[in-house]
Amino acid sequence: MKKIIYFSISLFLLCSCTTQQKLYSWDKYQTTSYNYLKNSDDKSTQDLIKTYQVIIAKQTGTRSVVPPGIYADYGFLLLQLNKTVEGKEMLLKEISLYPESKVFIDRILNKLQK
Amino acid sequence: MKKTIILFVLITFVLTSCTTTKPILKTVAYKGMYKEKPLSVLIMPPINKSTAVEAKEYFHSTLIVPLANAGFYVIPPFLSMEILKKESAYDAELFLNTSLAKFGEIFGADMVLFTIINKWDKTYGNVSVGVEYILKSTKTNEILYDRKGTINYSTSVSSSGGGLVGALINVAATSINTVATKYIDVARVCNGYTLLDLPVGKYAPVDTKESEEFAGLNNFKVSLNSKYGY
Repeated sequence: MKKIIYFSISLFLLCSCTTQQKLYSWDKYQTTSYNYLKNSDDKSTQDLIKTYQVIIAKQTGTRSVVPPGIYADYGFLLLQLNKTVEGKEMLLKEISLYPESKVFIDRILNKLQK
Repeated sequence: MKKTIILFVLITFVLTSCTTTKPILKTVAYKGMYKEKPLSVLIMPPINKSTAVEAKEYFHSTLIVPLANAGFYVIPPFLSMEILKKESAYDAELFLNTSLAKFGEIFGADMVLFTIINKWDKTYGNVSVGVEYILKSTKTNEILYDRKGTINYSTSVSSSGGGLVGALINVAATSINTVATKYIDVARVCNGYTLLDLPVGKYAPVDTKESEEFAGLNNFKVSLNSKYGY
């Protein structure tokens, strides 16, 4: 009986330990990206831009690097707002951080050159 | 005599129903993941089979977080959505049972995530969601990961105060909770819970204990609330 109690206590302690730090921090990404997806108006666009900037500038995740997709999606949004130079710069940052993105980002960069 | 027989039958019944939920090692349940070691994942637009039209967006905008946090490269969701629309590949249902090689070619994706929302039923203070998540390899078309289940999510905010006043505060707080934020949270919890079992990807630190871990049920039923973190 005692064994069971000890076991449950240790199990409980172990479980509470596992709430460890995440690889990346996302600021308000889940809410702002939803609002942008739903509304795509000026306010939701500005809010999403702000979120991207916070994610890029203040990473508190354990990897201390910008999460996958963020530079690219931010760049893509800038391109849509006709901020071509900045947008391209962000797309290139995604490639240098995550080389596996080169396949499809090159395709977009090539289209821009035309 | 009769009683013993009935008792025996009952015992056998109880015992047999226990054996159906034998735990399986992660390395067995998700053997394709360990064999292929996929790095990049493409999120397909969720397939909505529920009667709630708005459910799709709640899921789509929240899927990147658990996948990236598990150590995978997630193809940028907005960019890929645009490309999928342009290539007339926005209807994910059409690709559930076809070759996914094209997605590997265009996006460099090693696997594709299909999300199926089977149910999204709202009642006061509660949302009952039926979901299925399928990860398929673009190289072999094999299913690498498949979990489905029902998540009962309590949306009521519990305050510390008890008694009648506490109850009244609870009612007010529950209705003040902005609708969108609340449902984004439901989707977040569903994604987090169902994908929690994923073997870690390249960008996550190597988990040496993972090979000894048991996989969660591939068909589950749970009750969760906003305090659930993953």
